[in-house]
Amino acid sequence: MGLRLPSKVLEHILSFIDSNEDRNSVSLVCKSWFETERKTRKRVFVGNCYAVSPAAVAKRFPEMRSLTLKGKPHFADYNLVPDGWGGYAWPWIEAMAAKCPSLEEIRLKRMVVTDECLEKIAASFKDFEVLVLTSCEGFSTDGIAAIAATCRNLRVLELRECIVEDLGGDWLSYFPETSTSLVSLDFSCLDSEVKISDLERLVSRSPNLKSLKLNPAVTLDGLVSLLRRAPQLTELGTGSFAAQLKPEAFSKLSEAFSNCKQLQSLSGLWDVLPEYLPALYSVCPGLTSLNLSYATVRMPDLVELLRRCSKLQKLWVMDLIEDKGLEAVASYCKELQELRVFPSAPDLDEANIPLTEQGLVFVSKGCRKLESVLYFCVQFTNAALLTIARKRPNLKCFRLCVIEPFAPDYKTNEPLDKGFKAIAEGCKDLRRLSVSGLLSDKAFKYIGKHAKKVRMLSIAFAGDSDLMLHHLLSGCESLKKLEIRDCPFGDTALLEHAAKLETMRSLWMSSCFVSFGACKILSQKMPRLNVEVIDEHPPETRPESSPVERIYIYRTVAGPRMDTPEFVWTIHKNPEIGVSHLAIK
Amino acid sequence: MEVSNSCSSFSSSSVDSTKPSPSESSVNLSLSLTFPSTSPQREARQDWPPIKSRLRDTLKGRRLLRRGDDTSLFVKVYMEGVPIGRKLDLCAFSGYESLLENLSHMFDTSIICGNRDRKHHVLTYEDKDGDWMMVGDIPWDMFLETVRRLKITRPERY
Repeated sequence: MGLRLPSKVLEHILSFIDSNEDRNSVSLVCKSWFETERKTRKRVFVGNCYAVSPAAVAKRFPEMRSLTLKGKPHFADYNLVPDGWGGYAWPWIEAMAAKCPSLEEIRLKRMVVTDECLEKIAASFKDFEVLVLTSCEGFSTDGIAAIAATCRNLRVLELRECIVEDLGGDWLSYFPETSTSLVSLDFSCLDSEVKISDLERLVSRSPNLKSLKLNPAVTLDGLVSLLRRAPQLTELGTGSFAAQLKPEAFSKLSEAFSNCKQLQSLSGLWDVLPEYLPALYSVCPGLTSLNLSYATVRMPDLVELLRRCSKLQKLWVMDLIEDKGLEAVASYCKELQELRVFPSAPDLDEANIPLTEQGLVFVSKGCRKLESVLYFCVQFTNAALLTIARKRPNLKCFRLCVIEPFAPDYKTNEPLDKGFKAIAEGCKDLRRLSVSGLLSDKAFKYIGKHAKKVRMLSIAFAGDSDLMLHHLLSGCESLKKLEIRDCPFGDTALLEHAAKLETMRSLWMSSCFVSFGACKILSQKMPRLNVEVIDEHPPETRPESSPVERIYIYRTVAGPRMDTPEFVWTIHKNPEIGVSHLAIK
Repeated sequence: MEVSNSCSSFSSSSVDSTKPSPSESSVNLSLSLTFPSTSPQREARQDWPPIKSRLRDTLKGRRLLRRGDDTSLFVKVYMEGVPIGRKLDLCAFSGYESLLENLSHMFDTSIICGNRDRKHHVLTYEDKDGDWMMVGDIPWDMFLETVRRLKITRPERY
């Protein structure tokens, strides 16, 4: 054997490598590289909490400082995963508490986090600094209080869209009385009132505070008082803006905002009355991120605001912006990178908004840096998709939700195959794609063939047959996450491409035609896949050919999980045992 | 095995003239097997379009507020046998009488509430549970809360 890199040298080299993908590659080179890498990895990311056991992760990365975990499948965001499915944080917190006491940061997404978990975190990690919970549930404000009280070095506490049992605003008073090290606080998802005096005092004794996201219970008066105490904020989530306009209140608000010279990101703005918008004008020129998705502001007030935001990179807005508003965005917001347009009336019967595919076409033409799109629209055309693909080949994320299922190109009555073909072919860097509208198997042939870098693909109400799945699983080289709903096929393609499933993180299929028989065969064929059948009715009481309600298939080295609820059926790898409920808690 | 046709608020195969040809329409039979114990309410789907719960709840809350504000409630109206429908703002009417009067005028024929018979067109509506009901049985306010769309049936032929 030739020269060998001394481990100290390798360690030094690795200290420059942050990306976990690169570190994963490094760890595959040879045993000594594996060892050096694992002892130096500080930031650990586990995309599926059931893919590996907490103990194994804790053991492998003893120097872990930051842990990021994801639990439930993405479609849980849209109520497609029944309550109680799983994704419990406890085993992870327990394992880390035992093996990695130097842990400083925990970020959890779509997991069940209890007050016990939070108390354990507070008690176990002396240098704990960052807690970010996104779309989590299972805890109350008591758990938050424990974190606030005990974690003396807490810098970041963010509750993003969590479902929290809100026992009142007392938790705020648990932060240390002396100065805090808080840099970011986000409690926008809590419902109940916090004492404004508690908030004011907290803000006053948090000199490092840069990001503050309030909940809707905080009034405009409260906001003014807080802004006065924290003019250094770079990110602000306001409370509710719905108060009656009084001229004195307006000028105070205006003045408070104009003193926030470093504000870059603005959100909240619940029910903001158009009369209040001019109070924001002073911060507009500096804004890079604006989230108006809870603001019921319509045109032309929206344009008055947006035309002042020349540095805007990220815009989230309701479809109340209409096509003409987006035309204005295209001409004023030349730095725009990310656009999300949400439906203000998700029930089709009420849809009367003049937002069409044209709005997105305007932005695609005018905003050269646009790379991420989420667009809800009642119907679409192939021509628009072709234009978007042609104008914006740099798109990295394209999620189009045509709200009317099976809606064809409304001008030609054809499926949207050609349009999505253009997107897949033209946008060579596309990493994430969501398709909708009327789509035949052909569309997926194109996607399979051309979408080489797509890692995450979401499909609803589409395709004609098993061919759709066949095209996707035999193409899409980079596919990691596939989620499908309401497409009536499955078995053949699934079994044919079983090996592909091991190269992916997960596959979700609900309201499709995947039979229980196929699930059994798949599970027995693939030892390193967990095949979960999520169905209220025991699959064994029905013929093997009948479809199951939902399946969730993911690769794992941890074997079948032990915490499944009644409605999750894990198919045993041993054919003689059949189906079981491995519900040992 | 229960197979329920997908939420009827958007798949109206009988009147929608833009549906694709039969060879492509196998997907129209959207077999959404519902999950009874935690199944979404039929009045408005909880899982489509794909927006997060917080936004969905906020929008629902606003919709209820708006109804109180007396703005507008546009619903589609179809006459059986006629593929092209109309849209009508129900908030513009004070009650069933003015609604019927207006509809009769719009469709140029006499329309009644009540049982089907050989002579008259009868007005029916789809409620938030997806069921087709006779117009006129419940108080007008309650009707506004639950109506999704209207259909004028043809006179019976024996």
